[in-house]
Amino acid sequence: MDLLISADSLVKTYMLGKTEVPALRGLTIGIDYGEFTVISGPSGSGKTTLLNLLGLLDSPTTGSVLLEGSEIKYDGLSNLHNIRLEKLGYIFQTFNLIPVLTAYENIEYPLLLTKKSSSMRKQLVEKMLREVKLWEFRRHKPNELSGGQRQRVAIARALVNSPRIVLADEPTANIDSVTASEVLDLMRSLNEEEKVTFLFSTHDPQVLRYARRIVKIHDGMLVNGQLK
Amino acid sequence: MIKFMKLAMKNVFRNRRRTIITGLVLVFGATALILAGGFIAFTFRGLSESTIHGRLGHIQIYNKDFFSKDEEKPLELGLENIQELKHNIMTQSNVRFTMARIEFMGLISNGDKSVAFLGRGVEPEKELKLSDFALDVEQGKFLGETPENKLEAEVILAMGLAKSLKAKIGDYLTLMTTTSNGALNAMDIKVAGIYSTGIPEYDERALMIDLSAAQQLLYTSKVTKLVVVLDETDKTEAVAASIEKLFPDVRAKRWFDLATFYNAVVRLYNSIFGFLGFIIFVIVVLSSSNTMMMSIFERTKEIGTQLAVGTSRARLLINFLYEGLIIGVLGALIGLLTAFVLATIINNAGVTMPAPPGSTRGYPLLIDHVFAVYIGVFILITMTTVVSTVIPALKASRLIIVDALGHI
Repeated sequence: MDLLISADSLVKTYMLGKTEVPALRGLTIGIDYGEFTVISGPSGSGKTTLLNLLGLLDSPTTGSVLLEGSEIKYDGLSNLHNIRLEKLGYIFQTFNLIPVLTAYENIEYPLLLTKKSSSMRKQLVEKMLREVKLWEFRRHKPNELSGGQRQRVAIARALVNSPRIVLADEPTANIDSVTASEVLDLMRSLNEEEKVTFLFSTHDPQVLRYARRIVKIHDGMLVNGQLK
Repeated sequence: MIKFMKLAMKNVFRNRRRTIITGLVLVFGATALILAGGFIAFTFRGLSESTIHGRLGHIQIYNKDFFSKDEEKPLELGLENIQELKHNIMTQSNVRFTMARIEFMGLISNGDKSVAFLGRGVEPEKELKLSDFALDVEQGKFLGETPENKLEAEVILAMGLAKSLKAKIGDYLTLMTTTSNGALNAMDIKVAGIYSTGIPEYDERALMIDLSAAQQLLYTSKVTKLVVVLDETDKTEAVAASIEKLFPDVRAKRWFDLATFYNAVVRLYNSIFGFLGFIIFVIVVLSSSNTMMMSIFERTKEIGTQLAVGTSRARLLINFLYEGLIIGVLGALIGLLTAFVLATIINNAGVTMPAPPGSTRGYPLLIDHVFAVYIGVFILITMTTVVSTVIPALKASRLIIVDALGHI
């Protein structure tokens, strides 16, 4: 059976002025269904770059990404936005909620991009609000929510379309440790109960403790990717 | 769509001060265009009506060769059988009345001084019907207003000509001209009135006498033209075409073909209005583009997020165009309302404009409420705002996701 997502010999080079800066140097990795995996490494090791490539937010200089066995094409003809919408969910370090929308509307936003009916959208959003324990805060805008509540809204938004995998870039970096535990507990329970696959990038030891698998990278190369 | 429209509305009012400033530019632009358009419409209407009722009538009927050949003698190319022609034209719908005119020239003398004149033989009662508001008799009376005056030939002189001849009401002057068969003829004539044409150059030379007196002086039964007055100016083209079809021996000149001053004013005002419109278009484009650029700059990270969660670039583009549309519609609507209120205030204020070049009389400042101008300005302002949003919106929709997400 195909892996959920895999990358083969990924190379990503950025240009800093006229200087080439390698971020990934031929990295190969595979993530299976149901994993709760952390990509770990020091700053500048290429964690975010790897997450961006696996999340189809960026294209590799060379190498390939396969999602459910199909190679991703970056030719502009492929509807990458549809793949992002239907199969991938994202959680960002700074929550990245739309400030003019309420918690409810932020969670509903990805559903507006689909052809789901308003009643279906309502049902899904209300389910997510309850799951992330934010029902009472559904009419609050992001600036009326705490950091942990905002991140829970972001988790709900990432999950509302039932993606194959949720990619989270440093999800606990902007919240205190107690709130971080709550958020991680929530994600872990979603992984265990709903079988949602999570892939994190972090160097937060607290997140590492929650991980079932830790992929260590250094200078754009895989150091090891063993199960704990 | 409604949800995205709501999102656009929220984004529009995210930075209220900036949106209000942009909106004020649109309101100012819409108001300026509507007031200018309304004023120009009033000017065109007033000028066309004063041109029609002051001089031209709606249609002028000439001999078909009048404009293609030169007359060797006065009225050689005039109209004959006037009564029959008048009767036939009166059978056309929308014709109020017809009247004959003779245009002639010659010398007028007070015994000591002779001055060249441009004379017009008219049917006085009908001329008064035509120019009830435009003909301005300053002293004395118009032709044929008292029964005893019909017993002797009368003249009314334009102000400049009367001044030149030192003529007063009741004075007798002598008209000299060439008759239709080329001979010289003269006629003693009594000054009945002094009038103003409103055009200084014309005031120096113009005079009017009764049509029958002019025919007697010129020794002819012909007239230069027949003036047709309609009940509605809008029917001019239809009636003129019908007359030309029914009477192939005549040419029916529409008032707008003869009104050179009116046409020059229309061209000038249209150019001014076009230029004003262009300036406002540029101001609106720059203002709206700047607002949208600022908005996009501030929301770069948010745009990256929207793209990351699956928003297509086309959807993002449309969302930004919605924002432009909302600003445009609101600005245009408030502009329309403001213009309506201001126009009403101006119309009731009784402001008089100074006399335009070539005229001796001022005119009231009035703004017409022209539905087509309101609609045109609404569309122009709205579309301009949307168009000015296109480039910033395209820029936003083409952002590279990771760069946008990393934007601080």
